[in-house]
Amino acid sequence: MTSLPVDISNYVGLSAVIFFIGVAGVLTRRNPLIVLMSIELMFNAANLALIAFSRFWQNNAGHIFAFLVITVAAAEAAIGLAIVVVAFRRAKNVDVDEVAGLHG
Amino acid sequence: MPPYVGSGWAAVHHTHNLDPLLLAVWLLPLAGALALWAFGPQLRRGAGVLGTAVVFVCFALTLFDVRGAFGSPASGVGIGNAVPLVSWLPGFDFGLLWDPLALLWTLVITGVGGLIHLYSIGYMAGDKAQARFFAYLNFFVFAMLTLVLSDNFVGLLVGWGLVGLASYFLIGFWFYKPSAVAAARKAFVINVAGDVGLMFAIFVMFAATGSTTYADVFSHAGTLPQGVILTICIALFIACAAKSAQLPLHTWLPDAMEGPTPVSALIHAATMVTAGVYLIARCAPLWDASPDARALVGTIGALTALTGALLAIAQWDIKRILAYSTMSQIGYMIMGVGVGAYQAGILHFYAHAFFKALLFLGAGLVIHELGDEQDVRKMGGLRTRTPIAFIAMAIGTLAIIGFPGFSGFYSKDAVIYGVLERGYPALYAIAVITAGITGYYMFRMIFVTFYGRYRGDVPDAELGLAGRPPASAHGHHGAPRWLMEAPVIVLMVPSVIAGYVSIGGAGSLWMRYFKADFASQPLPAPPPPFSELASTLLVFAIVAAGVAVAYLRYGTAAAKEGAVARLRTEAARIPQPFVRAFYFDDLIDAVAVRPARALGNAFSRFVDPHVIDAGVTDVARIAGRLGRELRGIQTGLVRAYAFVVVGGAVVFIAYFALLRLPR
Amino acid sequence: MIWTLALAPMLLGLLLYAWPRSADAAAKWFGVAVAGCAFVVTLLSANAPDESVRWLQRPFTANFHAGLGGLSYWLVLLLTLTTACALASTRISRQRDFVAQMLVLMGAMTGLFVARDLLVFALFWDLMLIPVFLILVAWTPSKSSASAWRYLIYNLTGGLALLLATAAYGMLEGSTDVLGATLGRGATAIGPAWGEWIFAGFAFAFLVKTPVWPFHTWMPSAYADLPPAAAAVVSAVQSKGGLYGFLVVTAPLMPEQMRAALPLMFVLGLVGLVYGAVVALVQDDAKRVVAYSSLSHLGLILIAIFSGNPLALSGAVVYVLAHGLFSAGLFIVLGQVEQREETRSIARLGGLGARNPRLAGSLTIVALAALGLPGLCGFAGEILILTGLYQTGAVWVAGIALVPIIVAAAYMLRLFQGIMQGPEVEDLPERADASFLELLAIAPLVLAIVLLGVNPGPVLAARSLAPAQLSAVEVQR
Repeated sequence: MTSLPVDISNYVGLSAVIFFIGVAGVLTRRNPLIVLMSIELMFNAANLALIAFSRFWQNNAGHIFAFLVITVAAAEAAIGLAIVVVAFRRAKNVDVDEVAGLHG
Repeated sequence: MPPYVGSGWAAVHHTHNLDPLLLAVWLLPLAGALALWAFGPQLRRGAGVLGTAVVFVCFALTLFDVRGAFGSPASGVGIGNAVPLVSWLPGFDFGLLWDPLALLWTLVITGVGGLIHLYSIGYMAGDKAQARFFAYLNFFVFAMLTLVLSDNFVGLLVGWGLVGLASYFLIGFWFYKPSAVAAARKAFVINVAGDVGLMFAIFVMFAATGSTTYADVFSHAGTLPQGVILTICIALFIACAAKSAQLPLHTWLPDAMEGPTPVSALIHAATMVTAGVYLIARCAPLWDASPDARALVGTIGALTALTGALLAIAQWDIKRILAYSTMSQIGYMIMGVGVGAYQAGILHFYAHAFFKALLFLGAGLVIHELGDEQDVRKMGGLRTRTPIAFIAMAIGTLAIIGFPGFSGFYSKDAVIYGVLERGYPALYAIAVITAGITGYYMFRMIFVTFYGRYRGDVPDAELGLAGRPPASAHGHHGAPRWLMEAPVIVLMVPSVIAGYVSIGGAGSLWMRYFKADFASQPLPAPPPPFSELASTLLVFAIVAAGVAVAYLRYGTAAAKEGAVARLRTEAARIPQPFVRAFYFDDLIDAVAVRPARALGNAFSRFVDPHVIDAGVTDVARIAGRLGRELRGIQTGLVRAYAFVVVGGAVVFIAYFALLRLPR
Repeated sequence: MIWTLALAPMLLGLLLYAWPRSADAAAKWFGVAVAGCAFVVTLLSANAPDESVRWLQRPFTANFHAGLGGLSYWLVLLLTLTTACALASTRISRQRDFVAQMLVLMGAMTGLFVARDLLVFALFWDLMLIPVFLILVAWTPSKSSASAWRYLIYNLTGGLALLLATAAYGMLEGSTDVLGATLGRGATAIGPAWGEWIFAGFAFAFLVKTPVWPFHTWMPSAYADLPPAAAAVVSAVQSKGGLYGFLVVTAPLMPEQMRAALPLMFVLGLVGLVYGAVVALVQDDAKRVVAYSSLSHLGLILIAIFSGNPLALSGAVVYVLAHGLFSAGLFIVLGQVEQREETRSIARLGGLGARNPRLAGSLTIVALAALGLPGLCGFAGEILILTGLYQTGAVWVAGIALVPIIVAAAYMLRLFQGIMQGPEVEDLPERADASFLELLAIAPLVLAIVLLGVNPGPVLAARSLAPAQLSAVEVQR
């Protein structure tokens, strides 16, 4: 069995697919928890692309950025969840469309 | 450049030793003013004594330092001492100058000033703010000394401005009176207009000579172009006109009589208002070099003399009569120094300082006696009630009209004939006519005030006085009468004899005193058509005629009998131009005051909010409207925002991927 | 040391928020002490060497470069003196917070005046707007904060222009550390196309800040709404930022453009000179009289700076300081009046002098300095400026500029007499005369007014205006 050559385009393709799954999730789902998870998907898609390009170019900067993204993602998740909790306490509801207090 | 030949300016002796006596004379009054200002309430009645003592000490110190004004004995050359003080920048160096001219003014300021201080102790006794009054008076003496002792034009301007300030303080001394407040402001603003003239003169002379000291400027006087000298002279004369009440800037002087009477005597008669005479005499090299400036200043002086005399006829307030007469007499002085008869003009200042102070102080005695009544219609028959005042004012009047043997006779005749000698027959005619009017209005005042029956108890309505505001007594008690009478009696002496210094023509003490100051200028070719004696007789005849008319109108037994009715009808019949003082106030109002206010209102009510701000507020309004229109986009739906973000990203990427990137 | 002068007050100001509320009144004396110390330290550091800390290498060099030479020395002295006097005389609600903001303001302005780097200059330029804006918002007596926003928007627009001009200058020249000893070095490098735009940016910021007609409409409302102490410092010192900028930034760096702008600036200055004077003549609000009089006086300084005449420039330096002294004095005394009588309307006030001779005395001296009484500081500046203008040949400018001097006498006397003289007004609250402390707060200003008026020599000494600066802007006619 010949091993399939895994080149950069495969990684990028996978990254793009995951990213758009995330985008779709953010745009279509109304449960904030799912939205947050979709955002995590997008982060990870970006991480994947970063690592792949990093290896491709033999440059470690991508790794460092990936770590940075992971850190940011963790912070974002913490804050996001906190917002969700506050919103739930105030509105007894977890539908993102219902939380529209910032309309102009 | 060669120094200006023929004046003493090349010979001013520059010393680098501070003259301690001179510094003391100059600064003591300032120290007195500060002490009185700071510790006035604690000093109580001592305030007047302190203030008076300071000025008399200055007078004594001046006498000790007389020699210095004629040059340093060690050097043996030149006149005067220049004492450098501070330097701002090259060309702006300040110092004091001690020469015969400064000495004369200093003697008058401290001598007459001291007597008036003494008089004020009595006059102001009982006024709660007398410490403040004496602080202002001392400050005035300091300011006036700064003016006459400075050796440069900027220092002169400092003194010039400070005397204006002192005058402002003292005119508005009773600042609870709205009329006093208005008079003070008017005096100050008009005097600032004069200061501005002096400033302009400084610009021109600095640009032309690079310096502001007298010695530097005057040493260029012979070489500057005529136009420049004329410009300087006109600018300087604006300052003189404002300070010395010359047309058309004289309107503040009658109003200035709102101040206490000693102030009128010291500042608005004897000293400050003669600063213009000082300035022209000081700048003799400039006037000598500009025939046009001479003609101009001589003419305005003559017209002022005439105008002041005419307006004095129509006054009822005893102080306003004297104020207009002051204006008229300064007109004489300015005319004299303006046309080049410096010694005569200065002599008239010197004599006038005594007799006009005497007149004012005499009037002050009357006013004081009558509880601040100043209207001559409410007086009459005061000869016996205030004999000292009567004698004082009689002597003053004889002096001012030029009665032979009294000081004014020598000085005024010298001015009048000096004008003719220098080739100004028209001015001579005006001066002679004015002398006649002077005789009339002064004796009118004497007759109405001191002769006939006392009218103080006649109701106002019968005298045609109804509707005037009540006189406000400033409160007098406590002071012994001799305190006020002693200075008056002392002043009588120089009012008579001051003119004797000029007896002897060219060899007189007076001419020798100024030998080094004023170059003897050749007189114009055709000599005057008649001699000085003939002129004197002519003037005397005209004055006698004026006095006779006054006697016929006010002095005869019949006139004294029906005085009440006469004065009432006369007051009603005074022609309108005289009542409105020839409309000079209205003129200044229409030309300067009202346009400035109208412009200010237009700018602040219209231009600022509706023109300048229009652009700015439009920007704000557009921003606000845009905000209102665009707020609809903000639905608050997070997913909608996310959709827009994604859509934007897609468009952005598509743009670069499809269109911009090279294939 | 120099940077400490700028940073320490800001730091102490911020720390003041930890001050106990119960000791609100004492906070004021803390502020006075800080400002007083800053004054003394400045006074003693007349010969302090420049300090520099590296900041940017790319895209252009910028350093935290500070110097206390020349005009900076006098302006920092003026700033600390007026701040100390203003704080000493202040009495206000939430005193602690107010003092804190004033200290921050003082520090920021010190930073502006000692900065020798354009970028640092621009940084402090914007920084000094913040405390004034906060004070306007928090202590405005009117219901809306319109004057605060007006102040902020006008001055931030100017600040933006300044920043853009600075950035452009840095990109073209490679360094913004150009205000120090090596003056005038970049003047020729800027091409004409860019030079005009950069100059326009600087000039706009400076004109708005000063303010010069027609950019002045933020000023009357801001000065009227600021508490007296803040108004004193802002009008006395902050407004000098613009004139200082013209003197130390544009004059040495871009003399060509200065010369080209001369006719325009003469017109703006002259219009402002006359406009401010006649508007001051009809204002009823005492503080607005002072505000418009500032417009008039600052217009004269603008003309002097652009004339390039050494005498006029010397006069401009004197007048910058003189205006700082007397306008601070005016606002402080008017504040003391307002505090007593609860109004600033000239029509309503009157006759206070009878009961408040000390207050009247204070107002007399500052008003006289403002109207240019010979012997006080305003006159020294005016006569030097105008003599210089006449000397350069600007005869008509000098002539026209004399008229507002007469008007100044009229409006300043109207202000003084309207408040202090005339009959006493019955229904005004009767309060005690100025206390010893209030007199003490105004005394240093009065002393400085007299000293500067009698002998401005020390200010005019060579150190104040480097000869290089003078020759750089010399305009030959």
